[in-house]
Amino acid sequence: MKTEQLKTLFYDEVAKCNHCGFCLAHCPVYTVTGREWATPRGKNVLVKAIIEGKIDWTPEIEETLFRCTGCKLCTQTCFPAVETNQAVLAGRECLVDRKQYPKVVDRVVEALETHFNISNEPNANRTLWMEKLEDIPDHRFQKEKARVIYFVGCVAAFYPMAHKIPQTFVQILHKADVDFTILGGEEWCCGFPLIQAGMKEKMQKLVEHNQEKVKEIGAETVVFACPSCFHTWKEKYQTNAELLHSTQFIERLIGEGKITFQNGADRAVTYHDPCDLGRNSKVFDAPRNILKRIPGLNLVELEGNRQLSVCCGGGGDLEMIDPALSAAIAQRKIEEIQRTGAGEVVTSCQQCIRTISGYARKHKIKLKVRDITEVVLEAMGSPL
Amino acid sequence: MERERMVEELSKIVGKENVLSSETDLFLYGYDASLFKAKPDCILFPGSTEEVSQIVKFCHREHIPVIARGSGTNLSGGTIPTRGGIILHFSRMNKILEIDIENQRAVVEPGLFTLALKNQLARYGFVYQPDPASEKVSTFGGNFAENSGGPHCLKYGVTTNHILGAEVVLPDGEVIQVGGKALDNPGYDLTGLLVGSEGTLGIATQLTLRIMPKSEAVKTMLAIYNSLEDAGRTVSAIIADGIVPATLEILDKLTIKAVEESVHAGFPLDAEAVLLIEIDGLKDGMERLAERIMEICRKNNAREVKSAKTEAERTQLWAGRKGAFGALSRLRPNYLVCDGTVPRTKLPEVLVQVMEVSKKYGLTIANVFHAGDGNLHPLILFDERDEEELRKVHLAGSEIMKLCADAGGTISGEHGIGTEKMKEMFFIFSPQDIAAMRKVKKAFDPEDICNPGKILPEVQA
Repeated sequence: MKTEQLKTLFYDEVAKCNHCGFCLAHCPVYTVTGREWATPRGKNVLVKAIIEGKIDWTPEIEETLFRCTGCKLCTQTCFPAVETNQAVLAGRECLVDRKQYPKVVDRVVEALETHFNISNEPNANRTLWMEKLEDIPDHRFQKEKARVIYFVGCVAAFYPMAHKIPQTFVQILHKADVDFTILGGEEWCCGFPLIQAGMKEKMQKLVEHNQEKVKEIGAETVVFACPSCFHTWKEKYQTNAELLHSTQFIERLIGEGKITFQNGADRAVTYHDPCDLGRNSKVFDAPRNILKRIPGLNLVELEGNRQLSVCCGGGGDLEMIDPALSAAIAQRKIEEIQRTGAGEVVTSCQQCIRTISGYARKHKIKLKVRDITEVVLEAMGSPL
Repeated sequence: MERERMVEELSKIVGKENVLSSETDLFLYGYDASLFKAKPDCILFPGSTEEVSQIVKFCHREHIPVIARGSGTNLSGGTIPTRGGIILHFSRMNKILEIDIENQRAVVEPGLFTLALKNQLARYGFVYQPDPASEKVSTFGGNFAENSGGPHCLKYGVTTNHILGAEVVLPDGEVIQVGGKALDNPGYDLTGLLVGSEGTLGIATQLTLRIMPKSEAVKTMLAIYNSLEDAGRTVSAIIADGIVPATLEILDKLTIKAVEESVHAGFPLDAEAVLLIEIDGLKDGMERLAERIMEICRKNNAREVKSAKTEAERTQLWAGRKGAFGALSRLRPNYLVCDGTVPRTKLPEVLVQVMEVSKKYGLTIANVFHAGDGNLHPLILFDERDEEELRKVHLAGSEIMKLCADAGGTISGEHGIGTEKMKEMFFIFSPQDIAAMRKVKKAFDPEDICNPGKILPEVQA
């Protein structure tokens, strides 16, 4: 994007920011850095100054604009609801146009262009998580036609720490007699990392491929356990298929009597709303309704819950661009979780799990971090 | 002094990682929530009183201005480095040092958010009373400097009534202790002098606060009016009846509209004004008092009076008030808050005059204010990018201040004078008054190091 376009698209938006500073109370990046550059207010001011020609694209502006988790808690709590993250992403597009962006981004772009996934492995490896599953059907959950597609997502497919999510979710779907398939090596990245990197024009190829697959398979529904894939599809894809997050789909299956819970456990858990699922896609009730149905489970809410949930630190490519900053935010998240007194946090996002449990493990903090699919399968009883 | 050398010297005090001086950072510390802008020479993040003292000593020696800053929420340009210099951002000094329930005191660092203390106090059933609308992010250092108010200050007093002592770094870098946990300190009341001095006499590095047990009961009511004047008259009538509610807040039609679009507080869109009334105290007799207040509202033509039934309803009503300024920027991108105060009985006529100013300049003005204190907050709405409009805004703002002063009021209720209202100081003070204040400034800060160019206008000889 050129600076002139930035002006056309975002001048009025950032001009709405009155510098009141209320966002400083919420922004996770400011909370851990205590620097004005980190604030949504500061980002609005810089974008406005760029548009007005009062400041040039300095290296510090690059640093600033690439340090936003995209959690949008600022917009949620901003009275004029300034869309700071939208302006930040547009700013990144301008920086990309000037070839001024963190070099680590190129690695991801290259991986996406070569292998259509973020991990730079052959795309056929997308199903390696299945090897740990026993007694699975011959079709290995890959069918030519199915009513439902489970879109696994890159992180869950390639990062062993998140493998449990597809492993449990396919079992849930199978046990509930859902006619579903995964796309296996034919699943391509949804394009989310490219939007975050300020290169959204490069995602079109990925979008078209995935949309075509849905048509070929004739699916009525596409289900995602990854909130960011889910949100990206909802925002950027054109398809007639119904798009649901795993929590919404599980809630439906419970309603239809296809999922029942046999195993209870008397324990307290807290629930962390992933930004892209909760605030950004407005799915708050489905995960809570599921947890409430599990016998013995006592849900204790976090101080910042639902619309006011605080990011884990893993959003918006931040973990890739500034791992230390991401970890500092995760630390705050863990402290908030610990204040609930629950020894277990349940969430519905592989990235939140990676960020939170990654920090906990590294710092030897005793905390159970689980995806809701694991909790559901456990409560359903015996595995596949 | 050259910036490079300055940064090098200061890095020795706070560490390299706590100094910022890039062009971008200078830009980022050149604004606050007011309309003013200027660039500092560098920004420091001190971690202790000792560091602050050393920095100020350096500034004193080198004749460099030093400006303390918290969240930069102030509305009068108090933290704008109009003469350049060093910004001290207190985001690292943000701890609660002590909560002393038995003596009803708390000791905090200046960078702590007001609400962060309140959240901790709530566990003990205690409260720090002042409640600036920006409390979720306003810092105690800022509250101290600006003598911040808030809706509940009607009953409980402003910040100065709740700061009992402070550790202060003087403009020569010496550290002194003023006041303390005890009441009635002998000697000059330097605490009283320093609170509200907008960082021009010294920099607070630790504050001793009065905390109070939370009221046993609270009742929040909303009176709805078809005329703004009637809402104003009700305020005077309530006070004249000998009642001191915790808050009396008025929002006019334009504000109501903006608030409803933003937070849905449940204010009726066709009303000309709403009056938000809160009483607190003992449970016994509260219903009777509420009934008396509602009766006064009805006598003054309130078309409807209702009370919040649940804590959620109460929170909702307050969300409407606290979010009012921000919500107004949905209507136009920018606003100027005119923080004038008038004797309560003059509210209705001054409000009418404010509306005349609005017509005269063709500017939209919204009213949302601490009516109980007679503290008006006309908000002039505009688009900063329109230079002609901006010029008119400054003229209209000044004219409104004049109206307040002429009505026997004053030009700041709680936001301070800062950069914004220096020349308006003459509306309420004689040159002799200003000269007396300047003597105080000279006594503390003869070199004019601490937040120079604020509050006091130049007096022509």
